Amino acid sequence: MSPRLAYVHLPRFPVQRRVLEEPALSGRPLALVHEERQALRVVFASAAAQSAGIRTGMTLSAARALLPALHDVRYDLRAEQQALSSLAEGLLRFAPAFMPSAPDGLWLDASAASLFGGEAGLARRLMDQARSAGFRARVVLASQLFTARALARYGSEACTAVEEGSAAAGLAILPLQALEEAPEVVASLRALGLTTLGELAALAPAQLIARLGAAGLRAQRLARGEDDARLLPAVLPEVVEEVRTLEAPVESLEPLLFALKGLLDRVASRLRGRQQAAVRLNLTLMVDPAGPHPVPLALARPTTDPKLLLDLVRNRLESVRLDGPVATLVLTVEAACPDHGQQGVLGDGPSGDAALETVLARLTTALGPEALGSPVLADDHRPEAAHAPGPFQPPRRESGLLAEVERGSLRQQSVPDWQLERPVRLLPGTGTPLEVEVGQGGELRSARVLNQRRTVLAVAGPERLGGQWWSETPFQRDYYRVHFEGLGPTWVYRNALDGRFYLHGLFD
Amino acid sequence: MEAARADPAVLDRLRERIRTLQAAPRQLLSVLRTGLAPVDALLPGGGFPLGQVVELWGEAASGRTRLAFRAVAEAHRALRLAAWVDGPGTLYPPALPPLGVRLDQLLVVRAPEPKQLCWSALQLLRSGAFAVVGLDLTHTRVRLSPPESRRLVEAATRSGGLLLLLTPAEAPADGTLRLQVAAEGSAGFRLEVVRSRQGAMARSVEVPWEQLTAGSPSDAGRGRTPIDAPPNPGPASLPMRRVKACDLRNGVIGVYGQRPGRDLPLPPFAPVLGVSP
Repeated sequence: MSPRLAYVHLPRFPVQRRVLEEPALSGRPLALVHEERQALRVVFASAAAQSAGIRTGMTLSAARALLPALHDVRYDLRAEQQALSSLAEGLLRFAPAFMPSAPDGLWLDASAASLFGGEAGLARRLMDQARSAGFRARVVLASQLFTARALARYGSEACTAVEEGSAAAGLAILPLQALEEAPEVVASLRALGLTTLGELAALAPAQLIARLGAAGLRAQRLARGEDDARLLPAVLPEVVEEVRTLEAPVESLEPLLFALKGLLDRVASRLRGRQQAAVRLNLTLMVDPAGPHPVPLALARPTTDPKLLLDLVRNRLESVRLDGPVATLVLTVEAACPDHGQQGVLGDGPSGDAALETVLARLTTALGPEALGSPVLADDHRPEAAHAPGPFQPPRRESGLLAEVERGSLRQQSVPDWQLERPVRLLPGTGTPLEVEVGQGGELRSARVLNQRRTVLAVAGPERLGGQWWSETPFQRDYYRVHFEGLGPTWVYRNALDGRFYLHGLFD
Repeated sequence: MEAARADPAVLDRLRERIRTLQAAPRQLLSVLRTGLAPVDALLPGGGFPLGQVVELWGEAASGRTRLAFRAVAEAHRALRLAAWVDGPGTLYPPALPPLGVRLDQLLVVRAPEPKQLCWSALQLLRSGAFAVVGLDLTHTRVRLSPPESRRLVEAATRSGGLLLLLTPAEAPADGTLRLQVAAEGSAGFRLEVVRSRQGAMARSVEVPWEQLTAGSPSDAGRGRTPIDAPPNPGPASLPMRRVKACDLRNGVIGVYGQRPGRDLPLPPFAPVLGVSP
């Protein structure tokens, strides 16, 4: 059994992409042109332009003669290929591999169709995904590369699956233009009066070889659904990066954010296709003429949510001052991690999550990732090492009846006895040395605490903490809870190593 | 099922219970109680009011931090998140679980620059993601300017969150509700309402220390008990003695020659010191 393939055809993909980037072009006659044989020629034309008679291959001057209002844009094959690959990466959620078919289509490995409700379900998912990215698409599933592409490009149905063995019947009604790889063969066949692939398939192979040679036989095999070409999976670039060159340099925030939204959508889609989430991004603004202006974006938690990313970028850019207008945007994912899905963390709806994510991302960007977190207790007898910062990942909040259960479990939380004797504030390091006055009977009378000599009112303790005797930094301390005049309880210890008293904490 | 048919009263009770649970609205909080009866009775509304800036103003070690975290614990019990902007960087998390605080639901922010403290609290408040935000300005020399105070009040009002503002005795801020906290010796601390828009002005209450952390022992009446000191000619059974680091490393240290560690049983002090345990 041949492997199943899906072909996603994006009619006039470069035009669709251009309109997506500049919605003002929607419905207007648009032509993408490139230089060929010393003349600018039309490569792609929008529907409005085509209805005015503009065709591919026509010179720009001829097109302008037909339609003076024609808007023309330079066609950049490399940029179109990159955009197509970006879109394909986003579809990797539904297929393990893809092979681009520039400039307006791509094949996908459809072997995982059973995970999406069969081939019909997969086709629907692919169309929906393309639609959510802003593109019109046609999807055909077949067992041969040629069959899938020809039916997607020249067939009548926008979404169909051709069963194995019935490819020839499906291809029979298609025009000869579907043989895009062999234009000379198509021309010869037309000269012979043939118009469809079915007529080509019905010819005797020996006569075909005699007239058109191996190319003719190859074309007939394709028309009979006997394509044996294999899908060659595209290699993904290591770094996820998206570039957008603006039509005209912009100075205000809003058009910049509009362009960034498209970039972030594409980056997020690519990351989701790779099943990754962004951890750190870098936005480079190519300022005219000052040069690149990097804007690092550190995320509190990995995410692929473009809305959240856009909100973060908006807040970040509001505090950025530039020396000139921005001509190009480059968005790079500097660090990513496997995406295990977004956990609900707060509130009853996603809006709470978004608010939390946004503020965490904003604080992380402004203060640095090490400035915020959730404390985690460490198994260490040394008080100053008994906790460490950890990531802030509040547990998923349950709702309804499960929330009642969760509340019940909170009440059962128990703590070890030693935590009852810990101060809520701990002075940095090993504390502050104290000048103490000790009475004849060994009682602690007074000490200089917080810039003032204070009388001791009461003492409780000691609690002996010691350890690390096997290391270079052993410790042996006797901790007392000491009440000084004018202060609440304090945590004072006497160090066995030097015999001195230290103020280590405040029971504030 | 047969048993339930046999007892329709059980079914009715279950139906009623399900109706109650389904009809119960999302838990609404108007105040965060501290769980200390005298304090809650003192505060207008019976606790720290949400949507306001509550200022806990006083000396160091006066109990205000634990008081604030009791409100944080109340928020955690209601399955809400809390954030703490730790200005002096002295917050000691191991002391928080006994107060009822869930560390995994507490975001601690330690801004590298003092001027970022207020901004951080403002962002946290405005997000609306946290029921209570603590801003600790003690030992930071940070003074809130009037515009900053106004912004904080506005953010608290709009988000419906509670901002607990901890300020040093020498630099009170502009909290909507200002409470002065002062230590009263080894017995407890005193809480006085200094500013309030909802009444209870100049009312005060004294709370024993041991009530702040449930289960902690009382130090009232302990006095200046003798502790071991080098010139102390007292009984030789007192455990503290000066040792060398190499002795510690070699494991030849301990009260009775044993190796040190917290699990070591302490010798009985009470008879020696003449105090009741």
